Amino acid sequence: MSEEDHDVEKRRGFLRQLVGAGSALPLAPGLAGTVIADMAVAVAEPAAAETAVQPQAASPVAGYICFGPEEAAFVEALVNIMCPADEFTPNGVDCGLATFIDRQLGGDFGRGAKRYSRGPWLAGKPQHGLQLPLTPEQHFKAGLAAANKASVAKYGKGFDEIAPADANQFLTDVAAGKFEDPRLSLALWFNELVYPLFTQACFADPIYGGNADKVFWKMIGYPGLPATNAVNMIQYRGKPVPQAKDPKSIVDFS
Amino acid sequence: MQKLPKKTVVIVGGGLTAGLAARQLTAKNVEVLVLERGGSHAGSAAATLPGQRDELRWDSHQGLVQDWSIETYTLRHNGNETALPARWMEAFLPGEGLGGAGNHWNGHTWRWSEYDPQIRTRYETRYGKQAIPKDVSLQDWGTTYAELRPYHELFEKLFGLSGKAGNINGVIQPGGNPFEAPRDGDYPQKPLEITESGLVFKATAEKLGYKPFPTPAANSFGAYVNPDGQKLAACQYCGHCERFICEANAKATPQVLLYPMLAERKGFEVRLRCHVLGLIYDEGGKRVTGVRYVDLLNGQEYEQPADVVILGAFTMMNTKLLLTSRIGKPYDPLTQTGVVGKNFCYQASSNMSLFMKDRWFNPFMGAGSAQLCIDEFNNDNFDHAGLGFLGGASISAAVYGSRPIKTRRLPPGTPRWGTEWKRANAEWYAHSMGLNAAGSCYPHRDNYLDLDPTYTDAYGQPLVRMNFDWRGNELAMSKFVTEKMNGIAKAAGADIVGPANPLKAPFDIRVYNTTHITGGTVMGADPATSVVSPRLQHWDAQNLFVVGASVFAHNAGYNPTGPLAAMALRLGDDVASYVDRPRDL
Ligand SMILES: Cc1cc2nc3c(=O)[nH]c(=O)nc-3n(C[C@H](O)[C@H](O)[C@H](O)COP(=O)(O)OP(=O)(O)OC[C@H]3O[C@@H](n4cnc5c(N)ncnc54)[C@H](O)[C@@H]3O)c2cc1C
Repeated sequence: MSEEDHDVEKRRGFLRQLVGAGSALPLAPGLAGTVIADMAVAVAEPAAAETAVQPQAASPVAGYICFGPEEAAFVEALVNIMCPADEFTPNGVDCGLATFIDRQLGGDFGRGAKRYSRGPWLAGKPQHGLQLPLTPEQHFKAGLAAANKASVAKYGKGFDEIAPADANQFLTDVAAGKFEDPRLSLALWFNELVYPLFTQACFADPIYGGNADKVFWKMIGYPGLPATNAVNMIQYRGKPVPQAKDPKSIVDFS
Repeated sequence: MQKLPKKTVVIVGGGLTAGLAARQLTAKNVEVLVLERGGSHAGSAAATLPGQRDELRWDSHQGLVQDWSIETYTLRHNGNETALPARWMEAFLPGEGLGGAGNHWNGHTWRWSEYDPQIRTRYETRYGKQAIPKDVSLQDWGTTYAELRPYHELFEKLFGLSGKAGNINGVIQPGGNPFEAPRDGDYPQKPLEITESGLVFKATAEKLGYKPFPTPAANSFGAYVNPDGQKLAACQYCGHCERFICEANAKATPQVLLYPMLAERKGFEVRLRCHVLGLIYDEGGKRVTGVRYVDLLNGQEYEQPADVVILGAFTMMNTKLLLTSRIGKPYDPLTQTGVVGKNFCYQASSNMSLFMKDRWFNPFMGAGSAQLCIDEFNNDNFDHAGLGFLGGASISAAVYGSRPIKTRRLPPGTPRWGTEWKRANAEWYAHSMGLNAAGSCYPHRDNYLDLDPTYTDAYGQPLVRMNFDWRGNELAMSKFVTEKMNGIAKAAGADIVGPANPLKAPFDIRVYNTTHITGGTVMGADPATSVVSPRLQHWDAQNLFVVGASVFAHNAGYNPTGPLAAMALRLGDDVASYVDRPRDL
């Protein structure tokens, strides 16, 4: 497992450099995938070269559809605090977590698909669930702005500029309701909107842009697809399941 | 509004009960039209690989569930509060589309306790007239297990249940549920494979002197052909059962076993994407003449005349249609008169987690009903004298599949993010298991459904208002059974035992509980306290019948589908006879 992690780290590092250097280099998703895969292939197994032209689920596709630059900076800082690079995974951005959140907020979920949105609007108990006329995208961004304000008030800087230890503490305090903005509950914002998006970003199928390279599935040993376990149920009852080391996602079957 | 040609029987809703009733009716050549508000999921990404395995789409985003922007419910915990709409409901997940919630159900399929239909008599006989608190409106159902038993037998064969009999004609069978109502013989199929957590549960429960058994499952143990020649394949333990459609056709559902067969039968028609808005009621004649619906394909409203109307639109909609169509007297909690909306019940559940470093639970290999269970503390299977509550819970160890967005068990004290959070996930995902207590919920005078005075659905009709909270009886019951569950947890030899939290008020729509909401149109022998007769015939409209958990007068510590399916089959036979000779059944 750790070998694979190194590999992931290396590839991510390479992508970062490319993107960092890369204003002149348009990185189409497919192209980025190819380059990365080729790198890995060159080091590891030349025989797999044909498969390398397949775009990989592994790479968080660069770019945002719904975040402006400042929002992106906030979200990138957020996911890197909540998911630091460590022995388990690359940092949150490299895991695709910011991409996932961006895509969710820019799509059906963000626009409030399937949510009941007729008035009147009244304050309820927490057990009534969120009672906001805002769509999740609007709510996310309003909360982000309020959290940034709270960060400036407390640390003199926006959230993406404070030291990681402070940022971590800040999120803990936000979740605990210590920074309530008079107009918007930051605790509800974090606990009922941001946090579920974070766990979804980590553990949803990589087809949605997070959980890059199935890194979180590998971390916990979730085998993903196809999950036809009639035989495994008996053969591996009470034992480690080999497929858990090499999970497969929807992309692998598409 | 255009009036369409009359049909003999119109069924509102195209779910599980509708499919079963239609099976009986069409077998007797009675013409049936099913009106279903949703489409068909057959062949869609929900029902085929690889899309089926998408936790985010089908589970987190509720891809198969009723659209809350169109139809939701309001909630108030007490009569002096203003109800607010659930803008995104998590607590329960009604289905939409052909097959209804019967597509994305889990398949636990119980016969309830033999005494359940006589619950009030049972408690009063055993503990005296004073045993039932005044505000707990338990009442007998007007039917008996013996009457429903042949239909349970039929349903279990149709749905190919996998299980271990516990009581064959009164003879208790080792390995089965000793509290089971008597049955004619074994289950149609062997029980599902036991999981590793099932082994832990079984050994621990036996050590404590309990009698663990596999939950009867509508997940198919093997390849199975039912009496209609309809086929199930073997369960793959893929862990995508509840909230998902089984792409392997291994979960017994209306979509697999009923509707394709019905489509071939003469006189059967399903009209998809037809949302029924109301019943047309002839109050003087005590009859309904048909239904009104919007055809979502063209936005037009139609009148569909019928000789007989059956409501099979799930608990909330069955109740709503009676209330909006003004059929029957709405329940009033102050005077405790009226009937429509009364005895609204739910399921009083609690659960906990166990962590064992050295055991590989592999929780991703599971099935909707892959669970071991004990029934010692369920319903009135134990002596309640002096306990201060009635009812109980089944206690089980289930493995539904631990899909990773929603189900990763973490030891208490784990941070919510960061490296230590990841470490705990990595360490415990495969090495943890859960226990669950699925408890009864008895009616309370203040728990009922009515129409919200303010909020409306997308068609401009009032939303159903839930007047509901966990009341004293359920809170005390949950405390007791959660402690029993904790006893099992502590005896299991776990490295870490998570907290044993009983049910807490107020009722919270943000957390999934179960979709076992019951009551609202309850059955009974007395028109003053019930909406429909013991044969499910409306007291105030002879040619109107209601079926589903909405007719249950209380909820037991079991899932509802066994009895409601048995009743739907019986209803099909009853309505066929009624069509022949209309009368009070
Ligand atoms: C996640 C989940 C897990 C479950 N697990 C279990 C379990 O393990 N064991 C168990 O016993 N039960 C379980 N159930 C409950 C089980 O699914 C129901 O008991 C069963 O489906 C009820 O059948 P029904 O016909 O009453 O309703 P449904 O099968 O839900 O059918 C009702 C149909 O009516 C349609 N409808 C509603 N309103 C209208 C309208 N106005 N016009 C037209 N059509 C309308 C709906 O779209 C739906 O298709 C579960 C349910 C869910 C959601």
